[in-house]
Amino acid sequence: MIEIFDPKKQNLELYASPDKDYGTPPSQSENMISLIIDGTEITVPEGTSVMRAAALADINIPKLCASDNLDAYGSCRLCAVQIEGRRGLPASCTTPAENGMKVSTQNDKLAKLRRNIMELYISDHPLDCLTCPANGDCELQDMAGAVGLREVRYGFDGNNHLDAEKDTSNPYFTFDASKCIACSRCVRACGEVQGTFALTMDSRGFNSTISAGQKENFLGSECVSCGACVQACPTATLIENKVIDKGQPEHSVVTTCAYCGVGCSFKAEMKGEEVIRMVPYKGGDANMGHSCVKGRFAFGYATHKDRITEPMIRDSIDQPWQKVSWEEAIQFAADKLKATQEKYGRESVGGITSSRCTNEETYLVQKLIRAGFGNNNTDTCARVCHSPTGYGLKVTMGEAAGTQTFESVLKSDAVLVIGANPTDAHPVFGSLLRKRLRQGAKLIVVDPREIDLLSTPHLKEAIHLQLRPGTNVAVVNALAHVVVTEGLEDQDFIAKRCDDNDYQRWRAFIQQPENSPEAMADITGVAAEDMRRAARQFAEAGNGSIFYGLGVTEHSQGSTMVMGIANLAMATGNIGREGVGVNPLRGQNNVQGSCDMGSFPHDLPGYQHVADDDARARFETEWGVSLDNEPGLRIPNMFDAALAGQFKGMYVQGEDIAQSDPNTQHVYAALRALDILVVQDIFLNETAKFAHVLLPGSTFLEKDGTFTNAERRINRVRKVMTPLGGKQDWEVTMMLSNALGYPMDYKHPSEIMDEIARLTPTFTGVSYEKLEEMGSIQWPCNDQFPEGSPTMHVEDFPIGLGKFAVTQYVETSEKSTSRFPLLLTTGRILSQYNVGAQTRRTDNQYWHDEDVLEVHPSDAELRGISDGDWLGITSRAGETVMRAVISERMQPGVVYTTFHHPGSGANVITTDSSDWATNCPEYKVTAVQVEKVTQPSEWQQSFKRFETEQLEFLEQGRQQEEKVRVR
Amino acid sequence: MKTQLEQLIVMINQIVDNNSYGNTPEQTADATAVHLKKFWARSMKHQIIEYLEQDGSELQPAAKLAVQQLAG
Ligand code: SF4
Ligand code: SF4
Ligand code: SF4
Ligand code: FES
Repeated sequence: MIEIFDPKKQNLELYASPDKDYGTPPSQSENMISLIIDGTEITVPEGTSVMRAAALADINIPKLCASDNLDAYGSCRLCAVQIEGRRGLPASCTTPAENGMKVSTQNDKLAKLRRNIMELYISDHPLDCLTCPANGDCELQDMAGAVGLREVRYGFDGNNHLDAEKDTSNPYFTFDASKCIACSRCVRACGEVQGTFALTMDSRGFNSTISAGQKENFLGSECVSCGACVQACPTATLIENKVIDKGQPEHSVVTTCAYCGVGCSFKAEMKGEEVIRMVPYKGGDANMGHSCVKGRFAFGYATHKDRITEPMIRDSIDQPWQKVSWEEAIQFAADKLKATQEKYGRESVGGITSSRCTNEETYLVQKLIRAGFGNNNTDTCARVCHSPTGYGLKVTMGEAAGTQTFESVLKSDAVLVIGANPTDAHPVFGSLLRKRLRQGAKLIVVDPREIDLLSTPHLKEAIHLQLRPGTNVAVVNALAHVVVTEGLEDQDFIAKRCDDNDYQRWRAFIQQPENSPEAMADITGVAAEDMRRAARQFAEAGNGSIFYGLGVTEHSQGSTMVMGIANLAMATGNIGREGVGVNPLRGQNNVQGSCDMGSFPHDLPGYQHVADDDARARFETEWGVSLDNEPGLRIPNMFDAALAGQFKGMYVQGEDIAQSDPNTQHVYAALRALDILVVQDIFLNETAKFAHVLLPGSTFLEKDGTFTNAERRINRVRKVMTPLGGKQDWEVTMMLSNALGYPMDYKHPSEIMDEIARLTPTFTGVSYEKLEEMGSIQWPCNDQFPEGSPTMHVEDFPIGLGKFAVTQYVETSEKSTSRFPLLLTTGRILSQYNVGAQTRRTDNQYWHDEDVLEVHPSDAELRGISDGDWLGITSRAGETVMRAVISERMQPGVVYTTFHHPGSGANVITTDSSDWATNCPEYKVTAVQVEKVTQPSEWQQSFKRFETEQLEFLEQGRQQEEKVRVR
Repeated sequence: MKTQLEQLIVMINQIVDNNSYGNTPEQTADATAVHLKKFWARSMKHQIIEYLEQDGSELQPAAKLAVQQLAG
């Protein structure tokens, strides 16, 4: 017989599908072993369980307590098998497969054992299958069928928990203890996957019960509502409320979360066009089957009654809105924009691309501005968050992006987290990091606030450098100083990979005594000894990785700090392999993408400078126009120019500059100064209240396209429902461009991606076909890296040699004074998302329905403040009022708030101080005074009046019949 | 609230401060001019040049040199 080569025989693991549960996690071993299960020879990596090996060959052993995202536990015994030469019937989930093993998964003895087990389970389980919400998706039911259970002899009157009370405290899921089979999958999911350890099981066996925390309800416990336990539960015990209400979904589509920069993949499980639930997709390489409360549960905003579904126009903002057809709204916008340019010049208009929208949509908006408006006045909200990342990483390492995959952190020995709060702002990455910390990696946190990561359950070693806000650069310089002066540099890496001139210059600078931890201690407020310890720990760990967030970038020295981080990573040789690297944690889902797609005024797509004649020429040829070779205005420059009367028109897609940008009163005045403001959004956001044209936007559920996450991973977004306004955002931009006289004609976003690939050297290999094939792609993806680049800078940097940059500490002008003695810093929390336009329209409100000001007890005492008092917060820019919460998470002298609710006016107090290189606002440091007050601030009162009026105008527009306007 | 010009003056002085370590004023001016060329819009460059021609008193020496480079 001729032996035919069958690759499956070499390693079945390579053929695992993300849609099947194999019972236990895959083994990472490279050694292969072969065994025989039910007569079939199976080859798998050493360390694979018998259960998984069998399942890979489609031999499906009954199971209840096993799931392939959890370590095997071996409690239900349903998965028993017979192994030749071994006594008893071992559990296949806890038994590793061995070379030469012979396993039977079915025989009479096993069948009888399994039936007995099932009988026991069912005797303590309600028999309401037909009306049970999990009907059709219940593993207990499936197993009863699989083992052929026909009778239950034990009766139902023994000790059971059939009448246990339901816990409905969580708005998204219900805990019905009467259906619990005590498999502990939920408990393990909460610990192993989520890392919260909120659930406990009081004993092992049939009579044990599950509870949240110390017998609290779910809402009152430590639970963060990630839903991992709900997904893990094989029965109806933990189940989504929407499934209870609507029944089981009937089809599903894989798509990408539109909240944060982790970019989790989900299966949108649907009934017709209605999303029933979002289930994190195991095949998604960013999240590997996990999610947080936002992505899994907070999708209800997509069908909220506040959605804008009809185009509307008005001549001035003190008029009611008027409903019109798409054509008319677009024509009205185009006419006004053209008239503005005729009157005030080509450079008098501009636009803002959205970091919430897809790559294709962002690309089109900047194309419309550059080619249609004929100027480079394009910017995006990355301006206010990660623009310093782009600048700093490009200067030092040649590419404006993070260097790793998230998963890479599982190989880190020391993790340095600077100005980031991953458990709240990037929760799924936070869970992965916590997993690594439980395994023993060392943690160093640089943050003015005591973040939750520091209270990770089972955390081994941690150092908290609790610095004064605004002194990041002083800290990173001191760390590098220790590395250099104590001989902890990676000399090989530096000699091979870095430019020697720059290095010598930097080295001379960093060694200066003024950069020592001792000299910096007065500035940073961090003890020199802690700084030295942290530097040694990071440099000597083996694999040291750095993760940072907006606490790094949103400073007057944001760009300097990013360069300082790159210096530290290069000096310690922590670049170019797994487990190391420089990783910006991006705020919004597509911040990386919007930067890549040429949203910045100086950069064409792919970070090609507008003054680069060769690059520009390629765009000019493809786009058929000549392009301006001078950079355009950035967002804050646009506001300044608007107030000076030079900038008069704006097209804003999916971006709420009126709420998210600092110094609100300044922004409002600038928006009022515009002759034409076109806003395309899903809600009447704060910016839209100043608009003349309102175009309905579409949510991620209503469109096709791609998002790029913080790992440079391009993920597909797939349409699951018809856009409520009738059009996807890219279609609207196309209409506007055509009306402006610059023709665009795409049938599908894939054609836009093809154009991007033609023009962007790091994207030449990207296409929708390739995305279908690979699931996701991490750019660069081109001839040099045909399968994309999970880890960057492995051989060299895009600029050849890495460049050390001199990063002198320059004190911010935003300092505390006798008038403004406290420093305000800002952040965000888990359940709300940025400006909150979406999450405020979901049940996530349960967790955070107002922004509060956290004040240290000693500052509170000084001012006679107690918990819950109304506080007036005053800065150089303005005044607002919030409720006080006394908290020891910050040091004395520092107060903290979030900015999820527009009425709290956090940005009324933030100032126009900004990063020297990119104008990224200094949200993280504002000098303020705080005192007790009795009523909302003047700004808040006028905000309330304005809001009431604008909502009334919207309502009037909605009531009215669509009419053709006489112009 | 600062005017557009006041804002530009703050910005350019900030760029100078962040590029001056170990540099002569000429070197700082070079670095600053490169930055302005790369990142400032045409109208911003014009305004700061105009300001130097008319007054310029609030520009640091290296900032003045940088603006002269832009103008020339
Ligand atoms: S929802 Fe998440 S955090 Fe809450 S109990 Fe379940 S697994 Fe734990
Ligand atoms: S709640 Fe569900 S997952 Fe948890 S022990 Fe009970 S049946 Fe198992
Ligand atoms: S971690 Fe981020 S991307 Fe993932 S589900 Fe939560 S919000 Fe969405
Ligand atoms: S599945 Fe193996 S013991 Fe439960």
